[in-house]
Amino acid sequence: MEAINRLIYKLVDWVKNLGGVALVGMMTITTLDVTTRYFGHPIFGAVELVSFMATILLACAMPMTHVENGHVGVDLVVRLLSKRSQALIDTFTGFLSLILFSLICWQCVLYGQSMQKTGEVSMSLEFPSYIFVYVVAVAFGVLGLAIIPQLTRNLRTTFGKK
Amino acid sequence: MNPTLVGVIGIVVLILVFFTRMPVAYVMTMVGYVGFSYLVSGAAGLKLLSRDFYEVYSSYGLTIIPMFVFMGQLAFNAGISRRLYDSAYHFVGSYRGGLATATVCACTAFGAVSGSSPATAATMATVGLPEMKRYKYAPELSSGSVASGGGLGMLMPPSVVLIVYGILTEQSIGALFVAGILPAIFITFLFAVAIFVYCWKYPLQGPAGDKFTWGEKFRSLSKIGETLVVFLLVMGGLFTGIFTPTEAGGVGSAAVLLVALLRKQLSWKGFVKSINETLRTSCMVLLLIAGATVFGHFLAISRIPFNVASWVAELNMPAFAIVLMIMLVYLIGGCFIDALALIMLTIPIFYPIILNLGYDPIWFGIIIVLVTQMGVITPPVGINVYVVAGIAKDIRLETIFKGVLPFLIALIIGTIFLIAVPQITLWLPRLMY
Repeated sequence: MEAINRLIYKLVDWVKNLGGVALVGMMTITTLDVTTRYFGHPIFGAVELVSFMATILLACAMPMTHVENGHVGVDLVVRLLSKRSQALIDTFTGFLSLILFSLICWQCVLYGQSMQKTGEVSMSLEFPSYIFVYVVAVAFGVLGLAIIPQLTRNLRTTFGKK
Repeated sequence: MNPTLVGVIGIVVLILVFFTRMPVAYVMTMVGYVGFSYLVSGAAGLKLLSRDFYEVYSSYGLTIIPMFVFMGQLAFNAGISRRLYDSAYHFVGSYRGGLATATVCACTAFGAVSGSSPATAATMATVGLPEMKRYKYAPELSSGSVASGGGLGMLMPPSVVLIVYGILTEQSIGALFVAGILPAIFITFLFAVAIFVYCWKYPLQGPAGDKFTWGEKFRSLSKIGETLVVFLLVMGGLFTGIFTPTEAGGVGSAAVLLVALLRKQLSWKGFVKSINETLRTSCMVLLLIAGATVFGHFLAISRIPFNVASWVAELNMPAFAIVLMIMLVYLIGGCFIDALALIMLTIPIFYPIILNLGYDPIWFGIIIVLVTQMGVITPPVGINVYVVAGIAKDIRLETIFKGVLPFLIALIIGTIFLIAVPQITLWLPRLMY
């Protein structure tokens, strides 16, 4: 199990690095576009490029944000409970999250397939948009995987011996 | 079942599930998806998930968020917030309670780009608390100023909360930015007055610090010159229309990076940390927006926003009383939930009412930011206070709540004043737009 967990975290890390590259790319393209536009030669399709990179950035940041507890939650009540009750609640919500993200991953794959079939491309660069829908699908898949180590840990706390 | 009843049940379930500490964004997506599927069809609900998420993630308008967050993170990791603090200390540190005032001023000047008020409080707690301890400040005043000052960055441009409000309500982000400036300065001033009065009554809370000559004071300003230049570049370019809000964030990030590299203030480690923090904060904000979009579609289909708006119109209550009731919802809600999540959740319901009553949407945006800032420091559950307590392990929770009181009073007085005199908020945006 430990080996699988390590592999999952490695995957989360790898996906995060891709997001980081997209972030620096967004900043660079935006700045270059503003500068070159000043001299009358803007970068063609800069807005589209930045949107594509933002999609990669946001999708790829999801697993890492989940693992590092970066999301806003309300733990006023749960905090007052015993460790075991806390783990029970976390197990339950973990399962719900896993189902939710598996559904979104599956739906994004279907959405990407339908876009691929109709041959949808972006307006100026004519780049196939479905690729980015697949990126979002993969990211949700990794997010689902990233929930598993937490889930097994909570299950162990809930049902393990004191 | 009547769609509105389903909507009401959805909201109740949403609030109940919030208390399981499941991330707010996940809860909104889940309840929104189940409710939408129930009211329309299972297939439509599934489609809604993929469409809403992809649309939010690929929207060019929202790329402004990672750009501005990156700018703030680079500035923080290059030590700009520390230098701002230092400079503020040179000017006001020699007065009683001066360091607390410096903390509040640094919070405003930094204009906290971190996207969430608790994160700003955490940032300032790590910078300000050790300094104040060194100068023998009482924990009440030091922790109170950090917890309260954290909220000021939400008002000062560029503010992520205002960006999100602008996107949700289709208002000009530039106009919201300028609208925040005067109220932010006004509240900073009131905080300074609160600190002055508090220290005058309890002199041991904030003893006077070192005195500096005018030469030293102005020399300290030179260290923050680049902050001013970047601020002017970003805001100037935005208001003169040279670039769009997203481009302003991109150029701002590049400018901060350039300055930090030229002055050798940013290490590779700091750069990587900025990237990671930006990814995390942007993802947190954008996932909230995506969740709110899914939930918003469910609310729209349940017709709740429409019904609430017409119900309020039939109430025959004076407009002022309705605004006060809405404020009360934000104040109570702000005690439990992060300001950003709360605003995203409630805007679809309250915004049409405010428009119907004839209030200015820009003014309303500023006021709800102020009111949610009150919520985050109000006992018993102010989230900022818990954040500061988490960082300053040696300060008790009750002590921080006690320390927050003078600031809370100042904030209440300031908000009432800004509600009564909307011109303070609207003067600058009307002048420029």
